[in-house]
Amino acid sequence: MRRYGSAVLLLLVGGAVLRISLFSELYLRYVQAALRPYLVISGSLLILLGLVAAVRGMRQRDHEEHEDHEEHGEEEEGEEAEHDHGHSHSHSHGGPRIAWLLTLPALALLLFPPPALGSYSASREEAQRAAQGVGTFSALPAGKVLDISVAQYSSRAIYDTGHSLKGRTLRMTGFVTHGSDGTWYLTRLLVTCCAADATISKVEIRGDETDGAPQTDSWVTVTGTWIPKGKLGTDGAWPPVLKAAQVEQVKEPADPYDKR
Amino acid sequence: MRVQNERTVVDGLRLAVRAMVYAVVGGAALLAIATVVSVLGPMLALDLYTPAVAAWWTVFTAVAVQGVPFLLLGTVVSAAIGAFVPERVFTKVLPRNQALAVPIAGAAGVVLPGCECASVPVASSLMRRGVAPAAALAFLLSAPAINPVVLVATSIAFPGQPKMVLGRLIASLATAVVMGWLWARFGREEWLRLPKRKQAATSSPTGVKAFVAGLQHDFLHAGGFLVLGAAAAATFNIAVPRSILDIFTGSSWLSLLLLAFLAVVLCVCSEADAFVAASLSGFSPAAKLAFMVVGPMVDLKLIALQAGTFGRAFAFRFSSATWLVAVVSSTLVGWWLL
Repeated sequence: MRRYGSAVLLLLVGGAVLRISLFSELYLRYVQAALRPYLVISGSLLILLGLVAAVRGMRQRDHEEHEDHEEHGEEEEGEEAEHDHGHSHSHSHGGPRIAWLLTLPALALLLFPPPALGSYSASREEAQRAAQGVGTFSALPAGKVLDISVAQYSSRAIYDTGHSLKGRTLRMTGFVTHGSDGTWYLTRLLVTCCAADATISKVEIRGDETDGAPQTDSWVTVTGTWIPKGKLGTDGAWPPVLKAAQVEQVKEPADPYDKR
Repeated sequence: MRVQNERTVVDGLRLAVRAMVYAVVGGAALLAIATVVSVLGPMLALDLYTPAVAAWWTVFTAVAVQGVPFLLLGTVVSAAIGAFVPERVFTKVLPRNQALAVPIAGAAGVVLPGCECASVPVASSLMRRGVAPAAALAFLLSAPAINPVVLVATSIAFPGQPKMVLGRLIASLATAVVMGWLWARFGREEWLRLPKRKQAATSSPTGVKAFVAGLQHDFLHAGGFLVLGAAAAATFNIAVPRSILDIFTGSSWLSLLLLAFLAVVLCVCSEADAFVAASLSGFSPAAKLAFMVVGPMVDLKLIALQAGTFGRAFAFRFSSATWLVAVVSSTLVGWWLL
């Protein structure tokens, strides 16, 4: 461990980063999509550095055995004198001790990657809407059923003086959270850089034929129409409401967060 | 000859015995751990893996994962400076006069595109290369706050408010320069424990080998502190409910101080903090500015990184002074511009 500490740590961290970015899409649970190429590059570079450290460790071991034998009086050519470089700081090869903390996130990512943030975080982050102010929005694309993000729906519902949602059939995907009085919400977290800066958007779902709300944290796709509520741009307009025609259970999407 | 042979035999035996002892002890320990984990693990995991703990792990790994590329960028730059840039380059480029060198170094922060994780290793390697600490520290503070990536992100987060971007640029640069001057005037060498990289101390080798060794060491070292900071950030993220903010929105003074404090504990990366600031509705523009000026310069993750690189005595003094200066400068700029 003393000799291969650096190598082990670098390989572990590099492997963890590649596992979530190159070999799966798990990285989307933690950071935004644009970071992927940088994660892949970093992971590869770390693996490379780890291999270099491992080779150096092995070479150093050979060298030390060399020296042991020398001390025992065996004749040696000492041709490796120029590779000697590593010897004077052999104690630093294990890497700094604080570096072992890196095993915590690395092993977590390799063995049991933590889940995406869900209803727990959503319940703690109340009503932090961007104060945009009312105004008109760009026109929505035409089509019979329109796929729209929860964040987009809620900002149009609350701030759009052009009422672009009026008369449209809309389809949104998110997870389920529950209000205190039997209402339920379609919720999606929005991540800008990493999960530490997650903010929430949610839409209250109403429907006459929905027999009982779906389970908290289950993912659903809801199709329905906009119900205007409150005065635009005020607290009364929040959270926006959707009249659901169809609620469908779906699998958690690869990218669990909304993009900005 | 026979004596030698006997010796090798004895050596071999000793080695074999040692290997066997290791194998037996290690194997037994491994077995014990595996049994305990497989029996108790599921029970414990079910009890301890509450939604709050799950969210903690997610935020913790998220901060660490998103820090890795930037940290690596910073250590690549710093190792390259250490290995390939001769010392006289910096002494030639920067004026001898510290009072002049500080603003130049602060403005040079524009060139390092990244968040705050990248700037600590770079600043440390600049110091090792003979740059005056005051100038290197001004660079350390300004780089994550005023680089183009961050400024563009800020302008996207505050559409139609170019004054917010300008205010951020001015207040951050002012804080960095003032801190550099303060260090030049009052700073003491003994607070600053420059990392003596063992191999660099004696002959300071250059070239590819030194680059690789420096990179490995710096990344592992800073990475450990990044993890420490990520743990602190995740803990605050989970423990402090955001609804607490609503209590303070009434008083503009309290709200400014509160957001300046929040910037320290939330450790939002400097490329994202503008979006977070923009989403804090109900706060005055000056308070949001303070959040964005303090965040890249003082936060738990950075304090951990600085403590690891420059020593604890330095990190606490420097961070608290920086916090004060950043609050004052964003108050002034906010009052003047916004």
